[in-house]
Amino acid sequence: MAVKMQTKNQIQKPIGQNRVLRFTKGERLSHWVHAIAFFVLLFTGLGVLSTFFQPAMVVVGGIQVARLIHRGVAVLFVVVVGLMFFVGNPRYHWEWLRSVFKFSRADLQHVTAFPKEFFGGHGTYPPQDKYNGGEKINSMITIFGSVFITLSGIVMWFAPSFPPGLVRWAYPVHDLSMIMMTAAAIGHMYLGLLRPDSRAALPGMINGYVTTKYAREHHAKWYDRMKDDQNNS
Amino acid sequence: MTRKMVFVDTSKCTGCQACSVACKEWNELPAEKTKLITSYQTQKDFTIKTWTYMTFIEKYENQKMNWLMRKAQCFHCADPACLKACPSDAIAKTDSGYVVIDQDKCIGCGYCVVNCPFGVPKVDQVKKKSYKCTGCIDRVENNLLPACVHTCQPGALGFGERGAMLAEAKKRLAEVQKTHPKAQLYGEKEMGGTTFLYLLLDRPEVYGLPVNPTIPLSLTLWKDVIRPVGGIAVGGAAAAVVIGVFANLLRGNYRSSEDQEENASTNHADSKKGGKK
Repeated sequence: MAVKMQTKNQIQKPIGQNRVLRFTKGERLSHWVHAIAFFVLLFTGLGVLSTFFQPAMVVVGGIQVARLIHRGVAVLFVVVVGLMFFVGNPRYHWEWLRSVFKFSRADLQHVTAFPKEFFGGHGTYPPQDKYNGGEKINSMITIFGSVFITLSGIVMWFAPSFPPGLVRWAYPVHDLSMIMMTAAAIGHMYLGLLRPDSRAALPGMINGYVTTKYAREHHAKWYDRMKDDQNNS
Repeated sequence: MTRKMVFVDTSKCTGCQACSVACKEWNELPAEKTKLITSYQTQKDFTIKTWTYMTFIEKYENQKMNWLMRKAQCFHCADPACLKACPSDAIAKTDSGYVVIDQDKCIGCGYCVVNCPFGVPKVDQVKKKSYKCTGCIDRVENNLLPACVHTCQPGALGFGERGAMLAEAKKRLAEVQKTHPKAQLYGEKEMGGTTFLYLLLDRPEVYGLPVNPTIPLSLTLWKDVIRPVGGIAVGGAAAAVVIGVFANLLRGNYRSSEDQEENASTNHADSKKGGKK
């Protein structure tokens, strides 16, 4: 039934027997580059943050090596994830950005039902799109966090080139971004790895596919649209 | 050791710069190539090798020139912004009122450089260490005068107990104000009271000093608000995850989800959400 219209973009079949393609290769690459960079940056950054974590820097060869790694990985992270918005098949990256900032009533209802869901209960909320309300908030924290941590990081790196008044503010901005992203990452990992009801989403970030069952239960609006698209094409 | 004070009486200073030479000699700091900044000033700012220098300001008023000289060095604040900013616990305050950097602990991050309201510390980018005036703590704690005080010929620098020196400074101010009505003390209350206290002949801004130096708002917000609140937020997120795992265990959600996975594989994913089967 499926006539391939965009062979280049959709090498993988969007809807298979029991599974649906949720994340393309590019999306997965961005996610994991961001994830790995985040933890390396968090670890090396904690060495500078306080003397409590500083002794742990022997793992990488001391605090000065940690500071170097911090800068190197930061550049790698910004360049790779930044490029993913322009090279290869960046359509899905922009779609993600657009949808995150289209925060609808249904998203809000998902967020209000979320605390109950978080602790293993079942809240009621309308059918969700590819990204539900909670995922949109996590995305927003990641987007704003990444932008602010990058900008403040540039100011801190090249401190002598900026007025001291600006550099002074870069420190709290850098810390606040880190704190928000760390808190979000803790919740994010719980939902993806430990929480029974939502961890079915994890394969979507590994091989790209989620089960049809998961898609229908958690992202019905998106699943129905995908189905229609496939039937109509 | 009791709180000490260095009184810098700029009304007595002749600008001979012997203090900066003495500093370099005692602290074994190599000379640097200098450049004329104003008609007499040869050093623009602190460097990792220059911890004290003279500023010369020519101020014209009623067709008369006032030559304002000031020996610049670390103020050794009672409430130091650099100490608050340091993430490596490398900066400490002594009972004698000195603010000193422990080079073994310093990682050269430069947070002190940016947060000092007077721009005193400088980082050696090769050694990755921050440097500034030590106040000659090594001499003072061995009952010697700081090198700069020891060498000052016109008696513009005085060293002693803070109480006694402050009284002397006030007495001197009353005298100087007769000829210089704008003269004032700088460092009595600034930054909690600085160990190097000045008698200036004009307002501080004329000397390029901040009128009301304080710990930057960004620094207070960073260390006293964002850090503790952020710590609670991250701890709260971790606690929520632990509670979440236990809540799911108690509700038997882990077992039911395994059942669902079995159903999904055998039943072509037609089973309804939730519930044990």
